[in-house]
Amino acid sequence: MFLKNLFKRTAEKIELHDIQAIILRERPLPYHGVNVFLEIQDGPSGKVFLKELLPYITSAQNWWDSDDAWLSVAFTYEGLKKLELPAATLQSFPDAFKEGMAARGQKLMDINENAPEKWEAAFKDSGNHIAVSIVAKSKAELDAKKQVALRILSNHAGIKLRIQADFDTPIEGNFNHFGFRDGISNPEIEGSGAERLNKKERPIKAGEFILGYANETGNKYPMPQPLVLAKNGTFVIFRKYHSHVAVFNKYLRDQAKTKDEQEMIAAKMVGRWRSGAPLNMCPFKDNPALGADTAKNNDFDFASDQNGKIVPYSSHMRRMNPRDTKMAVMSDVNLHRIIRKGVGYGVPLAEGSTKDDGVERGLYFIAFSAKAMETLEFLQKEWVNNGNFVSLKNERDPMIGLNEGKGTFTMPSDPLPKRFIGMPTFNTLKGGMYLFMPGINALKWMCGVSPSAIMPTRPNY
Amino acid sequence: MNIRQLTQDAALKLKLYLATLGEPLDKVHEVISAGDAGLRSGELSELTIITDLKPDGARNLRLIFETLKGNLTGARKVGTLHDMRFVFLENDTKLLFCTCYDGDWDTYINDFATKIPEMMDLIFGNIEGWPGIKSPSVKAFILSKQITASAWFVSHPILTVADTTRLEKIGAGLNKLLEL
Repeated sequence: MFLKNLFKRTAEKIELHDIQAIILRERPLPYHGVNVFLEIQDGPSGKVFLKELLPYITSAQNWWDSDDAWLSVAFTYEGLKKLELPAATLQSFPDAFKEGMAARGQKLMDINENAPEKWEAAFKDSGNHIAVSIVAKSKAELDAKKQVALRILSNHAGIKLRIQADFDTPIEGNFNHFGFRDGISNPEIEGSGAERLNKKERPIKAGEFILGYANETGNKYPMPQPLVLAKNGTFVIFRKYHSHVAVFNKYLRDQAKTKDEQEMIAAKMVGRWRSGAPLNMCPFKDNPALGADTAKNNDFDFASDQNGKIVPYSSHMRRMNPRDTKMAVMSDVNLHRIIRKGVGYGVPLAEGSTKDDGVERGLYFIAFSAKAMETLEFLQKEWVNNGNFVSLKNERDPMIGLNEGKGTFTMPSDPLPKRFIGMPTFNTLKGGMYLFMPGINALKWMCGVSPSAIMPTRPNY
Repeated sequence: MNIRQLTQDAALKLKLYLATLGEPLDKVHEVISAGDAGLRSGELSELTIITDLKPDGARNLRLIFETLKGNLTGARKVGTLHDMRFVFLENDTKLLFCTCYDGDWDTYINDFATKIPEMMDLIFGNIEGWPGIKSPSVKAFILSKQITASAWFVSHPILTVADTTRLEKIGAGLNKLLEL
C-alpha cells in the first residue's frame, strides 16, 4: 500500500516539469528499485544513449500525488567529460565536484576505516559515468522500466554496465537494517507546490536544493555554465554504507540487562523509537501509532528540551537537524539541510541477533543539494564527526560517526549525564561519489537535441 | 650558504639551546598549515590580514569600536572566536586584522551571511574591495588577503570556546558546592 503523506498544496514557483522526479517525490511503500552505474566508452554513443533514454526520464510534476515508477539519471564529472561537454562548461563546475568524493577524503573525515583506499573496487576508479536509478511500487512496474532501459543500453556497445544494484524495502514498512523507521524527516521546499503539515519548521528557499533559484541569503549558489545546463539541476551525494547490525545489537546488550533498557539506549542514540516516534513526544516508551503517522512524527521542536535530557544533543536525529537547539556555535540550520532519498540493500539480519552472518547489508545514502559538496563536508566535519557545536568536544554521531571502538555517547540525565564508551562504528563507508543531476531541458542540451526543443515548455513527461 | 652564515646559524642555535635550557619540544604546541592559508594549533586556527582601507574606513571603524567599547556584538554569539584585533597602519590607510578561532574559518561563512550579515558588512565593508558577506566570492577575497603567520603560540590548543565556556560553568558550580 502506498502511504500517502498529508500534503497541503501551496504555490508552485519552481519548474517541476523540468526537475527530475527523485528529488521531490516520496518513495512508494514498499519500494522496489535498482541503481545502475554505466561506463561511457565512447562519447558519441553516450549522447545517443541519453537521447533515447530521454522520453523515459520522469519529472517532479505533481510529485505530491504520484506513485508511478520513476527513472532518473545523473552524471559524475568523469561522465560529463566522456560526453564531451564544452571545455568551458566542464571548467565551470565546483572544484570539489571536479576532484570527486574520494579525493576530498580528508575534508570529509573519510579516513581510517572509511578511507577511500578501503572502498570497494568499483568505487575506487573513475569508470562510473552515468547513474540511472529506477524506483517503483511493484516488481512488475520496476521490471517494465528496467526492460526499457536495458533495451536501449543493448543498442550501444560503447556503454558498459558496471554496477547493477537491486534494492527492496529492507524490512516491511520502510525500516532500516537496524530496525528503525527510515526517511522521515526531509526539508520543506518553498514554491514546490506542496508542504507536509509541519507547524514547527518553515519551508526552505528552493535555491538551497535546486540550481537557478534564490537561496537562503537571497543569492544563487555558483552554477555550472551555461544556464541551460544548470537550471533545475542539482548535485547528488551517493554513499554506500555497510551496516554492522550485529555489532549494534551486541553493543546494546553489553550496556544494559533488560530489553527495555536496551531499547531506551537505542532510542536515545537515534532520537526516535524504532517505530519512528520521536523521543520528545513519547519519552518513556515507543508509540507505534505515532511513529507511523507521517502527519505527526516530525512535527516538533526542542523548545521544551533545551538541556537534552529527553533527546540527547548527540543523538543522530538531533545532530542531523538540530532545529531550535541552542547550539554552542552559531549555525543556521536551514543552510545545512539535504533532501534524503536513501535506500537499503541486502537481506535483514535475524531480529536481535548479535552474531554477524557475513551477509552484506546497508544503505545507499542518496541526497540532494544545490551545494551538496559543501554541505556534505560541513555535515561530516561538524555535525557527524565532531561534538563542539553542542559543547561535546570531539564526540561523534553514534549511528554514522567514525567511532572505531573508541567512540563516546553522552546522555544528559539526572543528576549527572551518563556516558557510554568504547563505541564501534556501526556504519562503514564502502564507496561514494558526487553526481550532477541535470534538469530535463538540460539533458536535451547535453545530448544535442535541437535548441528549439529547449525552449521553456510544459511537456507531459 | 657560505661559511659565515653557517657559523652564524650554529651560534644562534647554541644561544637558543642555552636560553631554553634544552627543554624538549612539546607536541601539543606544534603548528601545522590550516589548509589554504594560516596556521593551525590543535583545534585552533589563526587568520592575519593586512589590507587597504576605504577613504573613511578607519574613521568609521573607530566610531564603531568606540560606541561598542570593545563589545563587538555578535562576536560572542559566533561561539568559535577566541579573539579579534584591529590595528590601523600607515596613517589610517591600512588595517591589520588578526583573529584566532576554532576549526576552519570557512566552515561557517555561509552561516555568517544569514545570521549576522549586517555586522559583518558594517565592519569589513570598510575594507577596499570587500564583496559583501553574502557574495559567492567572499571566501576567495578573504583568502587573497590572508598572510600566514610565521610563528604562533597557543597556551591551550585543544580548548575550544565551547570547551572554555563549559569548564567555566563546571568550575563555578563546583565552587558553589564546596562553599556549602
